[in-house]
Amino acid sequence: MKNKFFYTHLIETSDISLKLTEIGLSEDEKTHLTSLVEANIHSTVIDTVLSELSKEDKKIFLRNMVSNNHEKTWEHLRGRIGKAEDKIIKAVEKLKEDLIKDLIEAKKLSKENNS
Amino acid sequence: MPGVRDNSHYQFLSKKWTDRHRDLQSKIFANHEEAFKWLADNSKQLVVGSLAGIMLLTSPVLDKIPQSVSSAAAQVKTIDRSVFLVYDLKNALPDQVRALNPDEEKNATEILARDFGFNVTAELEGKRLNTTYGIIGQEQHLARFPGDNMFTHFVASDQADKYWAYGMAPGLGAFGYFTDSSGTLTQKAIDREKYYIVVQTFLAPGYDSNPKAYNDFFKYRRMLVVNPQNGKAIVADIADAGPSPWTGKQLGGSPEVMTYLERVDGAQRGGVLYFFIDDPNDTIPLGPVNL
Repeated sequence: MKNKFFYTHLIETSDISLKLTEIGLSEDEKTHLTSLVEANIHSTVIDTVLSELSKEDKKIFLRNMVSNNHEKTWEHLRGRIGKAEDKIIKAVEKLKEDLIKDLIEAKKLSKENNS
Repeated sequence: MPGVRDNSHYQFLSKKWTDRHRDLQSKIFANHEEAFKWLADNSKQLVVGSLAGIMLLTSPVLDKIPQSVSSAAAQVKTIDRSVFLVYDLKNALPDQVRALNPDEEKNATEILARDFGFNVTAELEGKRLNTTYGIIGQEQHLARFPGDNMFTHFVASDQADKYWAYGMAPGLGAFGYFTDSSGTLTQKAIDREKYYIVVQTFLAPGYDSNPKAYNDFFKYRRMLVVNPQNGKAIVADIADAGPSPWTGKQLGGSPEVMTYLERVDGAQRGGVLYFFIDDPNDTIPLGPVNL
């Protein structure tokens, strides 16, 4: 299954993946939480992009996404959103910070339960 | 989905990230509803991929969203199922309509079985068609019994209004009439004509070795026919042989089948998937199937 999106090259999630391996999860649990991370990132990117576009440009963006033409998608976004890549990266980094906070909290919870 | 076990930190993260994502989804669809509606309305013309991508990634989450969370989330729920299917098929199928290779067939049948809940297969009882992914053309109504014509063909006026214009084929289908007379016309026979498809039985591998056995196998054989560009699917039966290879088409659909699948003939014609339904007990009725 292809799972590559127009923003995939901008996103680094190995730090979260690493933390997920440190808190004692089963493989199924890890897979499920990883999919939730991806889903949250995806929705964050879509929200960030759509929030920057006009009514008509939203449609163009969705149409470009539909065609899976990353080049066209970026050509459009770069023409409509100043520093589009930076805005996406920033939004995802903020999300990741929150997710890592959740992971730290979960780790504490795990320790408390095991002590 | 993972099995249930006592693992509080997993439960904590699962709930928190599911809630977070649900809120994000609701926000997106509330703030940009018009754009998504536009996409959904235009998905007949477009090959839906990335709206589906949104849904695909959200699949583990959407199942947990209560219908009552918000109208936006509920809207997502209704859209996403066909979008999932379209997205998955887009990734499993070649860009051009052509015969699928064994891996592609396997992927496609697995996706369809998963989404529709019954087994479909490219090969049944050692027999298969020349292709499982082909261009579909428009067919006319078929006479179900001697004397059946456009005036006797429809019971409901709304059906006549909708499908009269397609007319009736001048000859019989490859398997003859569906029944002997109007007096013996059953609902089963009505449905067989209503939801019929025409496939190139004569091009099936091995057909020439035993045409009778192949014709017996194909006659009224139920197939799942799917428009991979909108996810619409219908259980149809084989009631005729054709079209000729020179037409560039691989199968044909009754007016009702074509209308439901939103497929047309001519310059805008397109491909459909068609697989045998593995249902020896005959439990799956003819007609549209919903996800």
